[in-house]
Parts: sequence; C-alpha cells; structure tokens
Amino acid sequence: MADRDPGMSAAPATGGYVGRAVRTLEGRAPIAGAARYSSDFSFPGQLHAAIVRSPHARARILKVDLSGARKVAGVVLAMDGREVAAHLGPIPHYIDPATFGGKSAEVRTMAVDHVWCYGQPVAVVVAADRRTARWAASRVQVAYEVEPAVLTVEDAIAPDAPKVVPGFDDNVIMAVPFRNGDPDAAFARADHVVTTTVRIHRFSTQPIETRCYNAVWEEETESLTLYGTAQNPHPLRHVLAKVLGMPEGRIRVHAPAIGGAFGMKMHGHPEESLVCLLAKLLRRPVKWVESREECLLIGAREQVHHLELALSKEGDLLALRDRFFANTGAPSACPGWGMAFLTGLTMPGPYRVRDIDVTMTALVTNKPSWNAARGYGKEATALALELALDEAARRLGFDPAELRIRNFVPADAFPYASPTGLQYDSGDYAGAVRKAMAAIGWDEWRARQAEGPREGRYLGLGIAYELTPEGGALPGTMVAGYDSSTVRVAPDGSVRVLTGVTTPGTGNPTGIAQIVADELGCPIEWISVVQGDTTTCPYGFGNYSGRSTIVGGGSAALAARAVRAQMEAVAAAMLGVGVQALRLSDGVFDGGDGRSLAFADVAWAAYTRAYDVASCITPPLEAQATFRPPNIRHSPDAEGRINPYPSYSNAAYATVVEVDSATGQVKLLAFAAAHDCGRVINPLLVEGQACGAIAFGLGGALMEEIRFDAGGHQLTRSFMDYVMPRAEDMPGVTLVHHDSPNPDTYMGLKGAGEAGVGGSAAAVVNAVNDALRPFGVAIHDLPLSPARVWAAIHGRSGAAGGAA
Amino acid sequence: MSLYPSFARPRTLADAATLLASLASGGVVIAGGQELMPSINQGVLAPEVYVDIGGLAELRGITETPEGRVGIGALTVHRELQTDPRVRAQLPLLAHAATRAGGGRQVHNRGTIGGNLVAQHPLYDIAPPLLALEAEVEWVKGRETVRQPLAAMLADSRHGLGSEAILTRVLVVPMADGLGWAYEKLKASGGAYGSANAAALVKLKEGRVAAVRLVVGAVADRLIDASEAAAALLVGRRFDAEAGAALAGAVSALVAAPLSDAQGPGPWRQAMAGVVAQRALAAAVARAGRG
Repeated sequence: MADRDPGMSAAPATGGYVGRAVRTLEGRAPIAGAARYSSDFSFPGQLHAAIVRSPHARARILKVDLSGARKVAGVVLAMDGREVAAHLGPIPHYIDPATFGGKSAEVRTMAVDHVWCYGQPVAVVVAADRRTARWAASRVQVAYEVEPAVLTVEDAIAPDAPKVVPGFDDNVIMAVPFRNGDPDAAFARADHVVTTTVRIHRFSTQPIETRCYNAVWEEETESLTLYGTAQNPHPLRHVLAKVLGMPEGRIRVHAPAIGGAFGMKMHGHPEESLVCLLAKLLRRPVKWVESREECLLIGAREQVHHLELALSKEGDLLALRDRFFANTGAPSACPGWGMAFLTGLTMPGPYRVRDIDVTMTALVTNKPSWNAARGYGKEATALALELALDEAARRLGFDPAELRIRNFVPADAFPYASPTGLQYDSGDYAGAVRKAMAAIGWDEWRARQAEGPREGRYLGLGIAYELTPEGGALPGTMVAGYDSSTVRVAPDGSVRVLTGVTTPGTGNPTGIAQIVADELGCPIEWISVVQGDTTTCPYGFGNYSGRSTIVGGGSAALAARAVRAQMEAVAAAMLGVGVQALRLSDGVFDGGDGRSLAFADVAWAAYTRAYDVASCITPPLEAQATFRPPNIRHSPDAEGRINPYPSYSNAAYATVVEVDSATGQVKLLAFAAAHDCGRVINPLLVEGQACGAIAFGLGGALMEEIRFDAGGHQLTRSFMDYVMPRAEDMPGVTLVHHDSPNPDTYMGLKGAGEAGVGGSAAAVVNAVNDALRPFGVAIHDLPLSPARVWAAIHGRSGAAGGAA
Repeated sequence: MSLYPSFARPRTLADAATLLASLASGGVVIAGGQELMPSINQGVLAPEVYVDIGGLAELRGITETPEGRVGIGALTVHRELQTDPRVRAQLPLLAHAATRAGGGRQVHNRGTIGGNLVAQHPLYDIAPPLLALEAEVEWVKGRETVRQPLAAMLADSRHGLGSEAILTRVLVVPMADGLGWAYEKLKASGGAYGSANAAALVKLKEGRVAAVRLVVGAVADRLIDASEAAAALLVGRRFDAEAGAALAGAVSALVAAPLSDAQGPGPWRQAMAGVVAQRALAAAVARAGRG
C-alpha cells in the first residue's frame, strides 16, 4: 500500500465550484459543430485505407490476389497479411492473459495464412480517397478453404472441438477459481439450494463516432504522429513503438475530441499500427475510418452462468457457487477478455456471503473479438447475481428487497475485505435500496399490481443492486491506478491544466477544472484543460474504469496546491505579511489588513520579479503531481489475492414494467436509482453518466443483440439490425444520490463512469419476471425480446428464435 | 466502364421514360433517395446511370381526378401524406399510416410515396393501407402508360428498384363517411422496423359488420390481403372478443411462410399477424361506431 495523504480527503478551504452543477466547459464545441474529431483532421497528400475482411469465421487462406485492386486508378498500395507481417511485429496485449496464468495467443495485425473470425482483416488497400479505396478493396480476390467454426461456449468446450488458436491444446485462454471458506459444507447444511442458469448475450457499445486513425509521417524528424480515437494515448504510443519497431520518442499520439468510447476505443486494434505502417511506407498521411458495420464487429459480454445459491430457511445466503463461461471470441490484443476475469473477481458483489466457489472459464471462439465495454465484466456479475437472487426469492417466497437487505454487507462493516480479496471502501447498500424504492413509489405500484392485469397487460416490479469497483490497476499492465497532472499559471493569471487522463466525452475536464478552481481560489473561466496529446501532456493512462476524476482530479488538486503555495509566497512577500495571514478567493489575495492583490498581479510578479518578491520561489508557476490511491494493493496476501481497485461505487435500481401478454412487448413505466459514487463533484456529470448507463442496461436487457448465423457469419451489420433504445423506449428516471465518501481518495470520490449497466439491466429482467409470475415462468436468457417473452407466456419454448 | 456512375436529370416525364427505356440494365430511377441510397451505400446496388426524376412537375401534387379519385403524384413525400388536407379528410387511413413510417422527420420529408411502393419492401407502411383502400397505380414505360390495381403491381417483382417503368401516380377512391379505419403497427422496440402491421377498414350497419377490408404486412414476403377471410367471419356479426379471437386465428392461419429475421422469429410473427389484425379491426370498429 502506498502512503495515505491525510490532506487528500479534505475539501479546499474556499469551496465554490465543487458540488455544483457547472455546465461543461468543453460542451460548447460539439453543440456548435466546432469540435474537431479524429476524422476532421486531414493533411496535404492525405490517403485513405480500406480493409478487406474475412467473410468466413474459420478458414485457411489459400491465395490473396491483389491485382484487381492495383489496377484501379487512384490506388497507391495494396498489401496482404503476409506482407504486412514482414513489417510489423505482433501486437502486445493490453492485458496479457499469460501475466495472470492464462494463455497468450500471438495477435497479428492481419490474418497471415489462417482466419479465426468473421471480419478479420485479410488485406488493405490505400487510395487517394475513401470511395476509391473501398471500391478497390472489393476487387481483391481471396481464396479460402473454409473450416468448421467454433461459435458457442458449448462448441468451444467440447472435447473434440477444433482449436481456435492453432497450437493451443484447448480453447480456454484462462480459467480461474475464486474460492473462499468452505462452500461445500455450507451447501450441505443449507435448507434450500436454488439453481439458475443465466445466459447473457453478445451486445456491445456503439459510440456515434466510430473509430478513426490518421497516421502522418513527419519527414523532418523521421517520426510518426497518429491522430486517432484513443482512450489511452500514452499506452497506445508504447504499443505502436513495439509493433513498428520504433522508439516511443519518435511517435506522437494525439487524441482529439471523442464522440463516445465506452471502452471500445481502448487499444490493441489492428488498424492502429496498420495505418502507421502505411504512412511510414508511403511517406504520406493515411487515414482509416471505421464503418458502422465494422464497428459492430467488436463484441462483449457474452457469458453463461450456472449459479447455485445455498440459503437457510430464514433467507440467509450461506454459499454461492457459479460455474461461468465467457465467449470472448477470437484472440485480440484489446483488453476485452479481461472482462470475464472481473466478473469473477467482483463476486459476490454487495453480499456478505463468505463461502463461495466461483470458476471463471474464458474461452476463445471463432466469433469476432471482444473489446472492453462499459461495466467491464462487473455488469455481468450484477446480472448473474441479481437474477439468481430473484429466482431464489420467487421459489422460496421471500420478498426480493428484504432478501437483499438481509444479505448485504452492513454499512458498519467497511472497509470490508471481500472473499475474493477486494477491499470495499464504503457504502450503505440497504439504505440505497430503501431510497430507490421510495423514489419509485414501490408500495403504490405493488398495490396497482394487486388489482390484476388490465387488458392483458401485466405489471411487474424489479429491483437490483450493482457493486462497481472503479479506478482499477492491474500489475504488469498499462492498467494503472495512478495518474498525473500539471498545473501552470501564466503571467496573465490564466490557468492551464494538463492531465494524463483523457475524456471520452463525459465531462471530466469540467470536473477537474472545478477542483482546480477551488484549489486555486480563482474563477473557473480562467482555467483551460488540455488532454490527449503525448507530446504536451504528462505521462498518463487516459480513461477507463471510471478513473479520470479520481486520479485526474486528485493529481490536479495536488499540483494546484503546489502552485498556490508558490503564489502565496509571492503575494505574502509583495504585501509584507505572513503567508498565514493571506486569504485567497475569487482571484483576489486578501492581506487581512485592508490591502489586497489581484491573482494576475501576483502571477506577473512571479514571472518578472524573480530577484526580489519572487526570489522566494523557483519559477515558473508550474507544478506536476501524481495521485496514487493508497488503498490499491498489488502485493498478494496469503491467499495470493490483490485489491486492484481504490473505489467501490454502488447503486440500487428499481423499475416498473408492463408486459403485454398478447405480444410479449415490455414497456418501462418508471425507473429509479439510488447512486453512491462518493462525493459528487458535479451532479450534471454524474446524472448524465447514470442515465446513460440505464439506457445501456435497458437496451441490453430488451433489444440490443449481435447475432450470427449457424456458420458464424455476423447478421447484425447496421443500426437497422442493432437497435438501441430511443427516447420513446426510455422511461423517466428518478435519480437520488446516496453518497458515502471514500476515505482513500481526493474529497471522497468514487468512480462514476462505469456503474449501472448490469444493475439496471437486472432490474428490468427482474421486473419482467415479476410480471410473468401469474404464468409460472421466468426468463434468464437475454435479451428479453418480445418474441422470447411471448414464447415464455404461451409455452412456445422453441419459438423464441435462438441465434448462435 | 467508368468507376463513377453517370447522372441524368430529364426535364419531362417523356424524356425520362425514353431515357430509361433506352438504357440496358444498370439504370436506376432516383427521387427522394431514401430507399436507393442506403442500398448503394451498403453495396447492394451499384447503378451505372441515375435517372433523377425529382424535378418532374408531372409527378407532383395531390388532386381530385375527373372520375372523383384522389390522385397522388409519385413524388409526394410522406410528410405531405401526413399533413395534406385532402388526404387527411378523404384518406385518413393513409395519412395516419404515413406517420407510422420508419425514419424521422428528415426521412419523411424526402421519402416519396412512389419510392416506398417501388421498394416492394414487406416491412413498409404505405402499401398496406393503399391495398386496403383498393388503390390503383399508374406507370409509364417508354411511350406506354399503364393503369393497374396496386395489388397487381405488388404481385409483380419487375416493378422493384431498377425497373424500366416509372411510377407516376397513385389513385384512390375517397373513403366514405362513417367508414371505420385503423392502422396497427407492432415494433419490437422504438427504433425497430415493424414486426407486424395491419390496415383495416370496416363498415358497420346497426352495430354489425357490413363490410370489411383487412391487409396484414411485415409478416411474410408479400402483403396478405385477409379481407375475404375477415368478411367470412365477421359480416353480419358484432365485433366482440370472441369474433376478435376467431379473426386472429384465421389471419395467423393465412401466414403460410412467416418471415424470420431481425424483426423476430417466424412463429411469433405468425401469431402477431393475428394480434395486429384483431387490434386494427377493434380500433376500426370503435372509430366507425363513433362516426
């Protein structure tokens, strides 16, 4: 454990912005159409790349004939995977399974002689414009010898299953037991054992801005600049250096405004290094813009859980057993597969059960690869646990809310060591459940439900909880728990904050500016925040895991305090008073004796009077600081466990649905959440995040699905097939805060960026199953499409429309 | 062959028809572009010549024909169908169904009635009400002008995108006073295409069904005209719950080969055909009763 800084949890003396609903500083540009996204950057001599992708899930490549593409006017280069492999090394894994005892497949930029998923890059064409490149790509002829594909978890674990990765002895990339206590004994003495199989389907995140990379060869310095949709510019630079065989110092990654990321723009994607290679070979800028069809290739979340809950007759959860399997698709250098690990590590969520026997098996298949998706596996923990708990409540006659409250980690038990080794910082789970139920009007809805169905429409009430570890750090990877910021005050008093964290468009620069404004005692309008450029910003890890305000805000606060101390020393010298006598607020230093100095005058003096009043400081007015949350623990305990997270956000979700028994349609009538993300810096930002997560959750529970045919060809190729919630699908959301400050972070922050996908999805499923009680059925196969709900009601199990 | 297609904008309908007839395969008519452009962007179609009919005055306007029909020019956009006073007064079923068409306001402002029909798309929302209304269509091919029932056009796959004919006008007999009507569309979620839809017209006499038209869409490759089956069950009866259930069963039974796609699996689509038919009839009867 790092040292705890007692000053970190204290609020600044002159608070003003923190806690207020400040409008986002960086919000003007996108609304005015002035934001520059990656694809808005174009350079003289700009070229465009198009990628030829495999139409087969598993195949041997017999021949790639590029001659048709090369004949097209405007084409400057066409290459197949074999040629690309001669220039580029394997892509380093964001999180290498081998680091954690799993198997590490060699991931190449393009398929060389064997294709392991639908959509895998096979060849690339570069032309003067995108249309020509795409046209020419369609002229590339590839001869394949198609092989039988491994598509499902059941396919992958079959003893005679073909091997997705040539050379592997099976299709398991990692299997991890999470075991604590004596679960077998607990099951033996239990009054009840309830088994539930939960099938979470493949769904993803779909940023409106798809991925884009534009590599520019800088001939003057023989270096590369990559403009791109990158959540983690510095770590991406490291990956590019490895793949290209260039020093990091010759590579710059610039990540401009980003139109949604949700984990999908964490790196490891083949196109990142590919465009760099093409620019380097051609000495011209090369851009690739992902189509929506390509964006839909990136999978996530598909898991099957076989859960057993051991309960006493009073409703105490005595033990949890879960054998779960994740269908992570083909190997990838992206961090997607790690979601399965986190699903296991987060068990048993907010519940105090100690005897657990959970086994995670992450499998590779011939579906397209996963990448990280908001929730990062923790949403699957919530879905599995919360559906199983409701099943237990239904079968044993417990009230679902009371069953949860009875089994939560109690509010006075924090910090709490979980049975998988996590260290929960704080929380009041039962209080949050009660708040969410009050907010939705639970008892009134129950009363309406008791009046019976109206015209075949059945009411259902659902509740679910999600514990969301956020701000993670995994040893030996670029998933870091700490980050750095630089604060500079210019001679005119304006403030520039440069951070190692980045924003996926969620507003953290505004939150960080609020923190710095309060620390420096100046108006927020004086502050500008710069992010996403490896040349100008301090080394940092970007955005993931709800970390940016915790460590970006924390490090900016520490840097701001150092600069403030410089300015106070100068101001005190100018006024001839002691530093302790100074008061700083609204950009004015008050000497306490009727005299005062403007912030800008002190800044000017600091720069220009280095040999008199400013001789007490080392100019310029600039400081860099790092915040390293002290409660992350990477030295394993006696059981070999680590605590990779500094903060444990959590929330209760409650919803009311109406199920049309004739059609199976589900309509959400009301939704409430009681949310604990620690101290709230800006309620607008937190509520925006929470509502977005709820939309994600209900989309996943009810409609979003990436489907394949029996041969492994992806059927979901556009927003006509991948249907996300519209305004008419989204109920009004009542969001209440139920904050318990984190003792180990700046001002008690917890992550707010990831929570809610699984909890809200589980609440919807539980509500639908509550509505289906009169029919004696419950559904644990997602999504709850109208066809699936209808089939359950009408006993037509074969009619639900399964897809591979 | 050129990498880029060519584009023609004829000044008259006759020029357009002559040009189209002179082209071998590869010519395509474009007006609103709401059907054609997505097909091109997805690589489904790669036309060599675009014949833009968007400027042809002959294809515009909603008028009363000498024989008392409502004549709707093929370039009439969905938004006009929704808002035009004549359509709203004389063809309220069509005006309402146009509001249920997919796409937002921008799409409704560009997509034409002609393009919608020519698309021959089983999930679309304009053909079911027009078929229920026993509409006729008029089209021009070369120098020939042809008028035929919409049902005949829908049965003929040569009238799809890329056809050599230009649809010019849709002709519909105004709906009689007191006629009950309804368009019922069932979607899996707000942003989805329809999974089943039904257009219903019903005439009541002393509370009993005197005549009925019923068309079900989005459940099979082609629209299903269930009018005969509905009439056999309902004429002379009150439309009560029992009649509704019987109708639902009869309509589902007409769906011999249900679609099974992203909008839902076949068995459910088949059942939903009955549900939307029943609901459309119920709403039409309620409206007729009020009228």
